[in-house]
Amino acid sequence: MKKKTWNIIIRHVLLALLAFIWLIPIVWLVVTSLSATKGVSYQHFFPTNWTLANFHQLFFETDTAANFPAWFKNTFIVALFTCIISSCFVLMVSYAFSCMRFKGRKQLMSFSIILGMFPGVLSMIAVYFVLKMIGLTDSLAGLIIVYSAGSGLGFLVLKGFFDTIPVSLREAARLEGASEATIFTKIIIPLSKPMIVYTIINAFLSPWMDFVMARIMIKSKESADWTVAIGLYNLLQKTLIGDYFAIFCAGGVMIAIPISILFVVMQKFYVEGVTGGAVKG
Amino acid sequence: MKTFLNAVKKYFADFGRAVAKGDIWCKLSLIILGAGYFGRKQIIKGILMTALEVIFFLFTGLFSINYIKDLNTLGTVQYEAVFDPLTMKNTVNDYDNSLLILLYGIVGILVILAFILLYISNMKAVYRLQLMKEEGEHINTFGEDVKSLFNGKFYITLLTLPSIGVIMMNIIPIIFMSCVAFTNYDMDHMPPNYLFTWVGLRNFKNMFTGGTTITFSYAFVRILAWTMIWAVTATFTTFIGGILLAKLINHENTYFKKMWRSLFVVTIAIPQFVTLLLVSKMFADHGIVNTWCSNIGLTGFLKDIGLVSGNFIPFLSKPGWSHVMIILINIWVGVPYQMLSATGILMNIPTDQLESARIDGANKWQIFWKITMPYVLFICGPSLIQSVIANINNFNVIYLLTSSTATANMAFANSNAKETDLLITWLFTLTNDNSNYKMASVIGIISFVICALLTLLSYTRMISGDKEEVYQ
Repeated sequence: MKKKTWNIIIRHVLLALLAFIWLIPIVWLVVTSLSATKGVSYQHFFPTNWTLANFHQLFFETDTAANFPAWFKNTFIVALFTCIISSCFVLMVSYAFSCMRFKGRKQLMSFSIILGMFPGVLSMIAVYFVLKMIGLTDSLAGLIIVYSAGSGLGFLVLKGFFDTIPVSLREAARLEGASEATIFTKIIIPLSKPMIVYTIINAFLSPWMDFVMARIMIKSKESADWTVAIGLYNLLQKTLIGDYFAIFCAGGVMIAIPISILFVVMQKFYVEGVTGGAVKG
Repeated sequence: MKTFLNAVKKYFADFGRAVAKGDIWCKLSLIILGAGYFGRKQIIKGILMTALEVIFFLFTGLFSINYIKDLNTLGTVQYEAVFDPLTMKNTVNDYDNSLLILLYGIVGILVILAFILLYISNMKAVYRLQLMKEEGEHINTFGEDVKSLFNGKFYITLLTLPSIGVIMMNIIPIIFMSCVAFTNYDMDHMPPNYLFTWVGLRNFKNMFTGGTTITFSYAFVRILAWTMIWAVTATFTTFIGGILLAKLINHENTYFKKMWRSLFVVTIAIPQFVTLLLVSKMFADHGIVNTWCSNIGLTGFLKDIGLVSGNFIPFLSKPGWSHVMIILINIWVGVPYQMLSATGILMNIPTDQLESARIDGANKWQIFWKITMPYVLFICGPSLIQSVIANINNFNVIYLLTSSTATANMAFANSNAKETDLLITWLFTLTNDNSNYKMASVIGIISFVICALLTLLSYTRMISGDKEEVYQ
């Protein structure tokens, strides 16, 4: 019994220590966003004077360098449309590959998996030129296309889930005279709500998390055209960091809050989703 | 391979039979695509097919042919603007734009290929209709055809839009990028003002063998080595760390499991560009961590034993230090994510194996290394290889941590690289800051090849293990 008590204590001390290390940057982000000093503090972890002015400036005193409301709006629009389009694409492709049998299905699937494993970042130059050709660089529509057009390739997890839905359900429906479209919308979609929520949240989050694609697609010098990622990155340039570091932190906190909430919602689907793909392939 | 060849042979044989044995309507379809349908009273389908054909010929004949015919030279007429004193304006000649020629040329060729496929399958379909008519079978009306798109052929409806997206955003860019690697498209050959053209394998030669002025091969070998070391180390440290953390949290003796898990998950909920930029400021040369280190005397100690030369620890600014720091920071970034996925996997470990091992007298470490780890590796093998690929292309961690530092090594600087660059960040700097598209494309192709080899490794396991119907 004594040994077990020690075990419990050591376990929790270790966990607390790890959690402490993991949370240092997060705490620094939050406290710096409340600092009255605008620049980076090199001496003190906690600010000497506390204030909420950074958040006020973030939302109500926009200038040419920091225009958080516009960035937030842009990113939100992009995320919303990306979420709708890519969730639909993923659903459609997953259903076609999982529940239907047609000539060349296996080959097409293998091809998509290989293609999907090539990271999009590698061909980013060419993506940029393709979008420039249709005149969509520097626009939100272009970003939406970049994030959602190729999303059909990310079908693996959802397909793995569809594979687990008993085939007898579909056969019964077919005997009753339901068409494939009806089975898709009336049976499969309602049955896989948790996984669909996971897909949707994932699709919604990717534009918020992404930095590199936005950086390439948006070359505009006008800060109102930027997304959150480019805008915040820009605030840390050598000439700006002295005046805007606290603003950067405030902005970081403001986007971390909604994303954290979505993450907590998603957490329980997350474990299922990640392993679902890994186990079933 | 043989089955593939046979399939191709059969494909063309079917087409040949359709042409040879088809009746007058079928033969007419060789010229007017819709004819075969008109002959079987499928008027609307016939009109649609013929319209497609007309659109194709208009597109190719009036538009893309102009670009395709210039593909071999990528344009010959350079941009010239002559100032006209009478109108006070610049008059521009009818110049060639190499970029557009290449891009539209590729699109044009893809359209032609697609049309050939359509043409052949149309011929076969028409012949099938003829056979059905001869057998006296029912021939679908247009309404029934549309209906089948929502039933038996629903997959066509489902896959069309996603496929168009993939072709536009994945396939065309990949082809385009591969082509650029064989041209001299760089800062000095920027359309529309200048032309670029094919140079064969010169860029590859520059990349692999030493040049005189620009030392790409010097940087390439080192960056490739660092990329591989990084990818493997980053994957395994986060993977093992994640499993250990998951085991720590999910142990029966741990209380408040949910709280601990959430504490770690918070760190992945904040976008990487925020946390990584923040961490890079913490570890800056005069950042807060350096203040701490000099306060507790660590900087002085390191200086005494000769590891540090200045008054600060160059966490992210000196090669060596930065390599280690990047891997350490990546553990911070990656472990919570791995912990989440490991949690799911660990829950599924067959307990009877653990039980019998315990009865046989295995201790905890033996169980962990002999049973848990092999099982986890077996399950995660493919996804591990995938995360090696993801790490090869892990742009965020490297770029956001080190973008503000410069290299002191001229050989690296000459090729616009840094010691801590991965292939992918090098590619990014070359395109975004230096417009050196030709070399960037070469790097892109090399990364492709590496990723493809790794993909093949995991791919055989993912698909060939025919498990998809096991659970149905």
